[in-house]
Parts: sequence; C-alpha cells; structure tokens
Amino acid sequence: MDAVFSDEQNGFRQEVRDWLSANVPNDRLPSLDTQEGFDLHRDWERKLHAGNWGMVTWPEEFGGRGCSLTDWLIFEEEYYRADAPLRVSQNGIFLLGPTIMEYGTDAQKERFLKPMAAGDEIWAQAWSEPGAGSDMAAIRSKAVRDGDEYVISGQKIWSSRAVFADWCFGLFRTDPESSRHHGLSKILVPLDSPGLTVRPIAQLDGDPGFAELFFDEVRVPVENLLGPENGGWGVAMATAGFERGLLLRSPARFQAAAARLVKLYKQNANRLSSGIKEQVLQAWGDTERFTAATYALVAQVDSGASISSEASANKIFWSEMDRAMHRTAMTIMGMHAELEEGDGAIENGRWLDGYMFSLAGPIYAGTNEIQRNILAERVLGLPRQ
Amino acid sequence: MNLIYTSDQQELIDAADGFFTGEHTVEYMRQFLETDTSDTTPSLWDNFAELGLLGLMAPEDNGGLAQDFSVMAAIAEMAGNVALTEPLIDMAGISVPVLAEMGATDELNGVVSGALKVLPVNGLSGMVSHADEADMFLIGEGGKARLIDKNNVTLTPLKSIDPLRKLFKISQAGDGLDEIDQRGTILNAAFLCGLSKRMVTLSVDYAKDREQFGKQIGSFQAIKHQLANVHTQIEFTRPIVQLAASQMGRCVHQAKISAIDTAMLAAETAIQVHGGMGYTFEVSLHMFMKRAWALCGEWGDRNHHINILETLILADDAELGPGTTFSY
Repeated sequence: MDAVFSDEQNGFRQEVRDWLSANVPNDRLPSLDTQEGFDLHRDWERKLHAGNWGMVTWPEEFGGRGCSLTDWLIFEEEYYRADAPLRVSQNGIFLLGPTIMEYGTDAQKERFLKPMAAGDEIWAQAWSEPGAGSDMAAIRSKAVRDGDEYVISGQKIWSSRAVFADWCFGLFRTDPESSRHHGLSKILVPLDSPGLTVRPIAQLDGDPGFAELFFDEVRVPVENLLGPENGGWGVAMATAGFERGLLLRSPARFQAAAARLVKLYKQNANRLSSGIKEQVLQAWGDTERFTAATYALVAQVDSGASISSEASANKIFWSEMDRAMHRTAMTIMGMHAELEEGDGAIENGRWLDGYMFSLAGPIYAGTNEIQRNILAERVLGLPRQ
Repeated sequence: MNLIYTSDQQELIDAADGFFTGEHTVEYMRQFLETDTSDTTPSLWDNFAELGLLGLMAPEDNGGLAQDFSVMAAIAEMAGNVALTEPLIDMAGISVPVLAEMGATDELNGVVSGALKVLPVNGLSGMVSHADEADMFLIGEGGKARLIDKNNVTLTPLKSIDPLRKLFKISQAGDGLDEIDQRGTILNAAFLCGLSKRMVTLSVDYAKDREQFGKQIGSFQAIKHQLANVHTQIEFTRPIVQLAASQMGRCVHQAKISAIDTAMLAAETAIQVHGGMGYTFEVSLHMFMKRAWALCGEWGDRNHHINILETLILADDAELGPGTTFSY
C-alpha cells in the first residue's frame, strides 16, 4: 500500500502538463455535436496524436506510449486540469480500441487502431434497437452471410456520434435460428455504406448528439467481423466493461467539476441557504472517494486482476455523483440557472450543459437499474428473477 | 503509487479474518448478552497476543511485526465484520504505535505480550469501552501523549444501546492529539466498513431464505436495488479509508464521514430487508446495527469531521481538483 507517486510518475506528469499548456486551445471549442465543433475536435485529436498523447496506454506500434493505467490516470488529471477539449474519439479509443486489442486479428489491429488513434476515423456505437434497450439480448437486426460479405438489415438507435462519425460498431444477429444472447456477432460498418441511412436525433440541447441508423441490405466484408461469429455477446460485454469501468470516466473530470463547484459556491455563499454548503462538501468528498477507489482498482488491474461485474458499482457511483454535483450547481445558480449564454449566464451556460449531460449518465452504458441487477445477482449472489 | 496490499500483507489480513470469523461468531457474542461482569465473560485476549495481532505495529525489537498502519486498518475492517467486542483494534492500532513513539518500552512490551492493557482515550467524548479492564490510559494533553494509571482516574459506567459495549466515562480525557485521534478515526471508519459489509451479508442471507408470494424475496428488484446501493457505497468507502491510513491528512475526515453515511444506510437497509424479524432481539442483526450506531459518534462524530473538512476545503488556499488527492 503506497500512496506516493514515484519520480518517474512525477516526471511524466510534468511532461504532460508542459505539452498541454503549450497546446490546449485558449477558448473552449463549440459542442462536438455540431459539424463545426466536431471538425475542431477532430483537429484536436490529430494534434494529440502528433504529440503522441492520443492514447498513452496503447502499445507504441499503434501510436501509444505503452504506459501503465496509473500513468493513464495521471494523464487524465493533467488533461482535465488543463480543461482540454472533450474526446470526440472516445467510442473508438476507450471502448472499441481495447476490444480490438483483445479480440481482433493482426490485420484488424493494423487496419483500425492507427487511424482510430490518429483521429482520422471517428467511431459511433450501434447497439441499442427500438425493441432492445436495457434488454440488449432482444436484438433483431441481422447480418446474413453471402459469400465474402455480410448483408445487414435492421435498425439501430441512440447511436452516439453517428451523425458526423466515419464508422460504427454494433451487434447483429448472424444466426437466424438463435435467440437472446446467442447467435450475435460484433461487426464494424462504415457509416457511408450504400443502404445505410443516418437519421439525426436532436438531444435535450437541440444538437444531434446521436442518431437512428437504418440498414437496408448494407454489405460489409467478412473481415469486419470482430471476434468469433455468433460469439458477439462476449465481445460486447468486454466493451461494456470498459465503458462502465475504468476508461470512459476517469476521476479527473469529476474532480475538475467539483473544484469549479467549490468556486461557484464561494462566489455566491452570502445568499445561499446553509444546507448547500454540505452538498458542496459532499460533491468534493465523493470525487475523492471515486479517485481513491479508481487508483485502487487500477492497482489491481495492473497486477493482473480483471474487472467484470464490479464495474457496475463504478458506473452507478460516477453517474449519480455527477448528477448530484450538477444539481447542486443548478441550485446555487438559482434564478440564473436557466440562462444559456449572454447576460446573466454563469460560465456561459456550462453548468446547464453539464447538468443535461449528467442526466444521461445513469441511462447510457446500461441503465443504473441494470447495473443494480448485475451487482445484486452476480456480486451479492441474490437469486435471478 | 500502488494502492494494493502485498501478498505478505494480504496473508496477515486473511489470517486475522479467518480467526475472527472462526472464533468471534454470533453464538460467541450471545454469551455476553447474558452476562455483565468481566470476571465471568470469555476473552480472546490470549489468542490476540499469540497470533501477533497485539504487536502488529510494534517494532521488531519489541516483539512486534512492524507492519504498516494500512494493514492495521484492513484488520480493523475484518474486526468490524464480526463486531469484535474487545478493544483489540484501539490498543494494537493506536496505543502500540504511540507507545513506540513515546519510547515507553516497558509498557509497549507489556501490551505486545498481552500482559498489560493500555487503552487510548478520545478527548472529544471521554467515553471508553472496556475501560474497566485497562491498566493504563493513553491521553493527549497539551500536544503530548501521556500515560495515566487506572488508579488515578475515576470511571463512571454509562449505558449504551449496544449491549456488547461496556462503556465508561473517564474523569481525565485530555484535549486530544493528532497521533491518537487520526489513527482512532481511521480505524473506527474501517471498523464501520466491516460492520456495513456484514449487515449486507446478513441481509443477503435472509433475502435468499425468506419466501413470500412463492418466491425468495431476494429475487425482487425492490430488495436487490437497495442492497446494491449499500454495496456500492461500501466499495467507495473502503478505498478512501485505506488511503487515509496510508497518508493521513484531509482524507481522514472524508473517510470517517463516508463510513458513517454508509453504515447508517447499511443499518437502515438491513432492517428493512429483514422486515419484522430485524426488529427483534432474537435475530443477530441488532448486534451489528447497534455497534454501528455507537461507533458513528466515536472518534469525532459527523459534525466534528464536516466542520474540519469545511475549513480545509473552503479555505482560499485550498488545493482542489485533479491531481490533489494524494499527499494531503
């Protein structure tokens, strides 16, 4: 049990800090759910990649630095400390990338990882369907083998980034006789494929952050199958583990928000009721708890343990912490909370954006109800329904 | 940076856990419900000495194992898991290192061998469990640790709701000392984590056993989700307690606050899951629940730690945000 950073780790931190302070854009970029913002965020990914900072934990051959997960946490701390742009390539680098490293062929690694790390190919997710949300095993979209190709038909929804992205990855039923979680396969599909229609869906803020995808006999080569045919459920669960667990939401973003919340509180303290103070302390304290727990989890993973169902507790904790923290900010802002920009708007509506986004946290990546079922059944050992 | 126990440390922790769960069973605890004098109650004290638990933190020269405080904190959680009645944790985790720092060799050797009992006193409450068994008390006064003989203090019995807690008010409690209070706070928080975990375990067992509407009640989401909530809170309390044990500083207060909130949630959830049975003296839950209530207020209650945290976090020069968790 050692809670002190080594000289190497401190040196790494300084290196990250120096690079970011020289390169992070001065102004916050427009929302990545607009064409302009998406393009600017892609440019930023390319810049990160050129500096070799795109994904520090990846092997050097794929554009990374071969760093440990602890180094990754340090990188994230500096990243959010510098208030650097959101990662438009997060579906790829945090979720699909690790899955390709685990399940992909050498050719797939070569083909997909480099452009993913470089920001040249941005990925969208394609899991949910109108009839398969929390009940993901109810997937009906099918991929029928025809020679060297799969022919995909069906419909996907809540596909984040799909409006502006280049590729999507999703689960499709490859065995027509199968049911539930059997007979599914994970397949990678270019979003500009003939027969594929992308219908943008406006989110709460009005921007098209996700989309509905209609597949009408879309043809992709069989080389785009990731992992075993009909074994896609296991591959998808690995991705879901990354999403719920370590990679998607490291503690730093929440710590940065908590520090901003303390500042917001202090600026408004003289007109606030006494109960708010404890909510602010709770927000800070919860981010500290999340940080300690994440470093502990990373130590276990770095020593060879794997995380599975435990990731569900992680997802519940960060998503509900984030929502509570932003609600506190909304309460502090009071009559100004509704203002998006311009006169009277605090931090140009950033807390409002954050609050709306935090409401999605307990829903995406598997609803928190599903996560609680997983914990109760697979960790605590309560009987299945 | 490596927030994980070495395999040697884990072995010690597992050994303590095995001893506690093997010997300090609910049947063992029930004996105390029927007796109330120390002459007739059983004791595991000799076993604690033999197992090296009393000397866990003592220097090797004094017959100890010279272990880190973080190991002591993990063992405190294991003790909480069985609601250990005797004051092993305070003695081994607070008195022993402070005696070593004081250079009180004779007393240290006495405690490690099991022959002498030196109980630490929290200056805030002046309340000491099992004080009647102590030979000496360790207090903080004027910025220094001080030993007081039992003959120089008056002990007044207090009546705790926890029937296994033999509580006394001590006539001289001192005004506190960081070396005593911080250790006390962390071990208390760790103990609370263990109690919380046990209350979840008891509830899971009950929910698998009890049937209503022709089904185990544990198959209902209304039960599952409540227990998943407590589990999640425990998983995000233990690491901050371990971090506090490793580096002290401001996370000590956060650790205690989280441990209190988690333990109260665990207790309320557990009794709800147990239904009417949880409200009886017969079912074991109450022994763990009452200990949790008692320990929430010990070594600084919630108000105390929140107030300190407020001064630390809302200070103008407070360092907050990414990268400020460690070395505070």
